[in-house]
Amino acid sequence: MVADFTVVDQEGKPWSLSKNLDAAALLIFLRGDW
Amino acid sequence: MLHERFLEAGTRLFAISIDSSERNAAMVEKLLLPFAYLSDPDRTEVIGPYGLADPKDVRNIALPAVVLVTPAAEEAFRFVSRDFAERLPEEKILDQAVNLGLQPTTQERPLTANAQPGPRSLSAEQLRIYYRGARFAALAMGLRHAHFSDEIKNDSKAYVAEMDRYTAAIEQLMSRSPHSI
Repeated sequence: MVADFTVVDQEGKPWSLSKNLDAAALLIFLRGDW
Repeated sequence: MLHERFLEAGTRLFAISIDSSERNAAMVEKLLLPFAYLSDPDRTEVIGPYGLADPKDVRNIALPAVVLVTPAAEEAFRFVSRDFAERLPEEKILDQAVNLGLQPTTQERPLTANAQPGPRSLSAEQLRIYYRGARFAALAMGLRHAHFSDEIKNDSKAYVAEMDRYTAAIEQLMSRSPHSI
């Protein structure tokens, strides 16, 4: 089982993986803005 | 559109980087991203725990990677790029999502607040030029060094194809919003 995590979204609001798994989630890791 | 095909496969997309929510908001606005862009500035919440902090970068930014998580919180697929220039073709990632056999889902368009682009942020037109330059550099190096190994030749072909996809995407973006970017 993957680790749950809570971060901040682009609106500045908390976002948790566990609260967003009513569907599959593709996490796209990026180096940063370009 | 590709995002819609992922939703058809029951998969939502989420981007993650070390950048602040304000910079991520600027990226969402610039690229008209249809999904949320998450911030892990200390790499302690997800980038580090998922083993994706780049050990070769002094800033420990995220390695370019994708991780597919099922609704049961299981990791179904992972691809970690060898370097910043490598990205798995989107169709191959979509195949992994389709293989989960899930019902279609939806994803709300992300709202943004206080968008602040970074100092080195490129406009869409600058990105288009960058992709074209990178494409021809990869093509030239591939032709020059193809006799050394098939791996070099194949890497060059893959990168040229990647830049062609990105160029098409940015041109489509520019045709949708020529005044904002």
